[in-house]
Amino acid sequence: MTWIVQNLWLIPALPILAAGISSLLKQKSRISAASLAIGSMAVSFLLSLCAFAHVLTNHETDQVLTYNFGWFQFGNEWLKLGWMLDPLTAVMLVMVSFVGLLIFIYSTGYMEHDENFTRFFCFLALFAGAMLGVVIANSLLLLYMCWEIVGLTSYLLIGFWYHKPEAAAAAKKAFITTRIGDLGFLLGMVWLYTKSGTLLFYDNGAGCLEHSALTHLVAQTTVYGLSISAAISILVFCGAAGKSGQFPLHVWLPDAMEGPTPVSALIHAATMVAAGVFLVARIYPLMSAHAGTSLSPTIALQVVTWIGAITALFGATIAVGQYDIKRILAYSTVSQLGYMMMGLGVGGVAVGMFHLITHAFFKALLFLGAGSVIHGCHEEQDIRRMGGLRKFMPITFAAYTVGMLALCGFPFFFSGFWSKDAILHAAHNWSISQAPYYMGAIGALLTAFYMTRQMYYVYAGSSRLSDASDDSSHVAHRDPHESPAVMTAPLVILATCAVLLGFVGTPAWPWFQSFLEGNQANFTLAAFSEAGIIPVMLSSSLLVFIGLGLGWFFYGRTPITSASAPDNLGKLQPQIYSTLNRAYFVDAIYGATIIRLNTAWSILCDWMDRWVWNGAVQAVSYLVLAFAWLDHFIDTYIVNSSFDGGCEGVSRSGLLLGLLQAGRVQNYMRVIGCALVALTIFLLWGAK
Amino acid sequence: MTSINYAQLLRLALPEVIVVATALLVMATDLLVLRRCKTRVRFAVAAGLASLGCAGAIVRIFYAPEVANILDGILIANPLIHLVQTALLLLTIFALLISVDSTFTEHVGEFILLILIATAGMMFLVGTQDLLVIFISLELLSLSLYILAAFNKRSAQSWEAALKYFLFGGMSAAFLLFGFSLLYGLSNSTSLPQIAAAIHGPSLNPLLVIAIVTTAIGLGFKVAAVPFHFWAPDVYQEAPAPSAAFIASGSKVASFFIFFQIMTLGFAGAAGTAAFTHLVRGWVPVLALMATASMLLGNLVAIAQTSLRRLLAYSAIAHAGYMLLAIVAHTQQSLTALIYYVVTYALATIGAFAVISVVEEQTGSDDLSNFNGICRQAPVLSFCLAIFILSLAGIPPLAGFFGKFFLFVTVLGATSGSMNLLWLIVLALAMSAVSLYYYLRILKRVYVAPLAADAKEIHPPIVTQLLLLLLAAAVVALGCDPQLFLRHITAAIQSSIL
Repeated sequence: MTWIVQNLWLIPALPILAAGISSLLKQKSRISAASLAIGSMAVSFLLSLCAFAHVLTNHETDQVLTYNFGWFQFGNEWLKLGWMLDPLTAVMLVMVSFVGLLIFIYSTGYMEHDENFTRFFCFLALFAGAMLGVVIANSLLLLYMCWEIVGLTSYLLIGFWYHKPEAAAAAKKAFITTRIGDLGFLLGMVWLYTKSGTLLFYDNGAGCLEHSALTHLVAQTTVYGLSISAAISILVFCGAAGKSGQFPLHVWLPDAMEGPTPVSALIHAATMVAAGVFLVARIYPLMSAHAGTSLSPTIALQVVTWIGAITALFGATIAVGQYDIKRILAYSTVSQLGYMMMGLGVGGVAVGMFHLITHAFFKALLFLGAGSVIHGCHEEQDIRRMGGLRKFMPITFAAYTVGMLALCGFPFFFSGFWSKDAILHAAHNWSISQAPYYMGAIGALLTAFYMTRQMYYVYAGSSRLSDASDDSSHVAHRDPHESPAVMTAPLVILATCAVLLGFVGTPAWPWFQSFLEGNQANFTLAAFSEAGIIPVMLSSSLLVFIGLGLGWFFYGRTPITSASAPDNLGKLQPQIYSTLNRAYFVDAIYGATIIRLNTAWSILCDWMDRWVWNGAVQAVSYLVLAFAWLDHFIDTYIVNSSFDGGCEGVSRSGLLLGLLQAGRVQNYMRVIGCALVALTIFLLWGAK
Repeated sequence: MTSINYAQLLRLALPEVIVVATALLVMATDLLVLRRCKTRVRFAVAAGLASLGCAGAIVRIFYAPEVANILDGILIANPLIHLVQTALLLLTIFALLISVDSTFTEHVGEFILLILIATAGMMFLVGTQDLLVIFISLELLSLSLYILAAFNKRSAQSWEAALKYFLFGGMSAAFLLFGFSLLYGLSNSTSLPQIAAAIHGPSLNPLLVIAIVTTAIGLGFKVAAVPFHFWAPDVYQEAPAPSAAFIASGSKVASFFIFFQIMTLGFAGAAGTAAFTHLVRGWVPVLALMATASMLLGNLVAIAQTSLRRLLAYSAIAHAGYMLLAIVAHTQQSLTALIYYVVTYALATIGAFAVISVVEEQTGSDDLSNFNGICRQAPVLSFCLAIFILSLAGIPPLAGFFGKFFLFVTVLGATSGSMNLLWLIVLALAMSAVSLYYYLRILKRVYVAPLAADAKEIHPPIVTQLLLLLLAAAVVALGCDPQLFLRHITAAIQSSIL
């Protein structure tokens, strides 16, 4: 047990401490708040690197490094918490703290003019701490606690500009929607505790993800022959789906874009939404626990795969029909999270996590790029009113292009290609069905298409910003401008990572995968010749090119000139297009069904409360009042008067007895004499 | 009789020797060096020196915890006695600290000397099981206290009270000595265990009855139990605040301890019972009677008082009643409860007297009306007073509550199975409820009543404020975690008795 394992708690504790201190700062102490947050994050990043290095050097030992401690005792049971360090934790730690650090730095530029700068950094640091807590937790309970703090900070940050009604509503929506998923998570956790008696993941053989507990859980079955492990996994997956915006709980994520853009980048693209994927990866042993030796995927993993595939395709199609630069990216995030889930389902931890890590970098890059664009265009978010930004914002443009190509999965040079290809390859080989593969492939094509569309809208042609000044409320627009260095520098760093990261997980040198699985990676070109790899790679490259080409066909051939012109694709099929633009009316459907049902139910409850229960309570209260009057009467005229009499008696006796103390010392002495006589008589004749 | 090892005797008595030497040193310093200084300075220096001396004695007790029993109990050293002696010394220090800012006399050296001599008397008193030594040290204590009570020579009432105290005390001392002589006649020994062995028998000898009653009278006077309480209200009211605090705290602790020792060791075979339906002759029914009378009279008369000191005097009588119950129960647990009770009671009382001394200094009297609304002038002082008063009233979570609770529980549990002493406990509980009335009346004045229009500013001296905070903290801490102190008492009793 080395220093870093024992002190792993410092990594989340530092940002939380920074948040605590900056919550006490005055609104004006902007510099101290920012430096506290960034400083703590930088230290956390360094510590994460130490942890990573530790895992890297002790790679051969297969054992998970844990540090557990008793939290409190109830009955004879100790509730234990703890943290752990394994490759998964190490990778996530580095990713979260690194991306977080960059986004913190970027935020100092982006939020420069906001008066609640201090509060923003307080929340941001609290978020980062809680997220790092999720990552290191060795107990489902600790993970859940941090998970909820993460949810809370997400709520606070989406609603950061709470004076905007949309932001307040979006914050509420995000919180409630994820809570629905978390209910499943909580139920799964409670069930797991009753069945296995512990919530520690690894505890020297006694943890709930270790062999003995798993065999126990797999052996028991519940309804429809579902094994308990699968049932628990699916319940916990509900929480993951809520957090990671999986269909049908994805509705909150696009709305969450009402928050400041760094928040979108950090929380709603790179880290928090990935927490769901991370959770599935963390409990993967439970998810994939087999009874006996059957090799087909477990029910839980099938559920994960299907949900992931549906979400991937679903999100990609909606992204085609959006006009808000951040909403496009939000639906793209939904879609990519679907890929990750699918990757976990079909290919295991390494496949899903690889896409998570690469996605974190390029999606953070895209969001920060979008933020830079929004910042440069004076808070304009509608892509129809942008255009021509390549001239004004060259660095942003270059970085954004890298991010876009990475997201599309442009062959060979960008990380997205390798990670997405790994997922598609795994899906291709999936034993249950080929459908996820095709859904993923179509999603990949659409991804290339909508990103090309966005690029043309935002960067090509000429600026349409002035079109916006139709409404007289706008002040005269200045030209768009490039963002300050504090914002562009993180973009460049992220862009570099978005390119380079892909090379640690190619089929020829699958270092990342082997690192997570605890093997040694060998460089071999022969891996390409494995069955299915080359065809899948070629076909997915082809799809990307088709997507890019279609994008050019629709939006590149004829430059977009007017902000009010209809979408080129929309002209072909207006009805389908408006369906996509309205996101398949999912919100409307929810509004018409669940929310209306809920409203009706609450009206009914209100009515019951007002008339039935309240009536009953009122009746009882009148009865009680009647009794009270009776009691009052008895109290005042019978009890009180006699008690007062008694008290008066007591007081008077006090005065009377006080008369004994008349002050004549002779009398005092006589009393002693009398007492002597009396006591002697009492003893001699009074008692037996 | 074995030969006396004087070196050992001296070594065992070293804490007492330190105290007496300090007394002489203080006297000398005051008279030789500080003669021309201001009274406050003289008091500060003398009290400081004396406190150091007491602290030195405590250190000595701590670092040489010998266990010995010289000459059949003439001088005894064991953990329990050390514990009580330490408590006595601490209480003395607190009483000395109250006097730091006093101006009531110019005879500073003598005053402090007397307090220290009285302390030495108390230490000898608790450290012996021999009638002669008990009587001598009791007289040493009492005589010092008489003078201390009379020390405010500017006040005629102070003399008068002290004179009554002296006459009353002399009378009860005569009774006590008479009782002791009867005991010696009955047993031909002055050692308590041997007396117990000699008087052991199925029925009570009439002479023994007289001895029991006179002993109870003599010690009942010391602890201010009814009907030997008459001195208390006058002395409490008229004595200078440090003297009153000292009489009300340290001397109470020592007296109750030796009362328990004499009764349980000396009259071991003549206990009797105090069950309501059948009293059996012995000292227990006598004490039960005294306890009953004390609880009734103390609590009832306290209601009618208008002076805080007199009120505290009657409350002291009531508390003496409760504490006598512990002697009535005479078990190891009840000794534990008694020590805990009397020490926490002494802490709260000293605190209350410290507050009184400050208020008196500013307003000129301790009349309850002078406490109207003082929380607006001196919030810290009032808060501390509230803690002391509530502790005396036995409100959780303060030490007084736990003391009372523990005391009652041990008394109930003393006669295993049968609830023989239940009637006493019921009475004690009822009287506690009555006591709440007058205690809360004080707090009502402090916190609710409006401040008098012509009220003078109150500036508590720093030392007093610190002392008050310390005492209040101790009362709260001992109430929240009684084991803090109880653990030591239990351990000391277990390693001392048997």
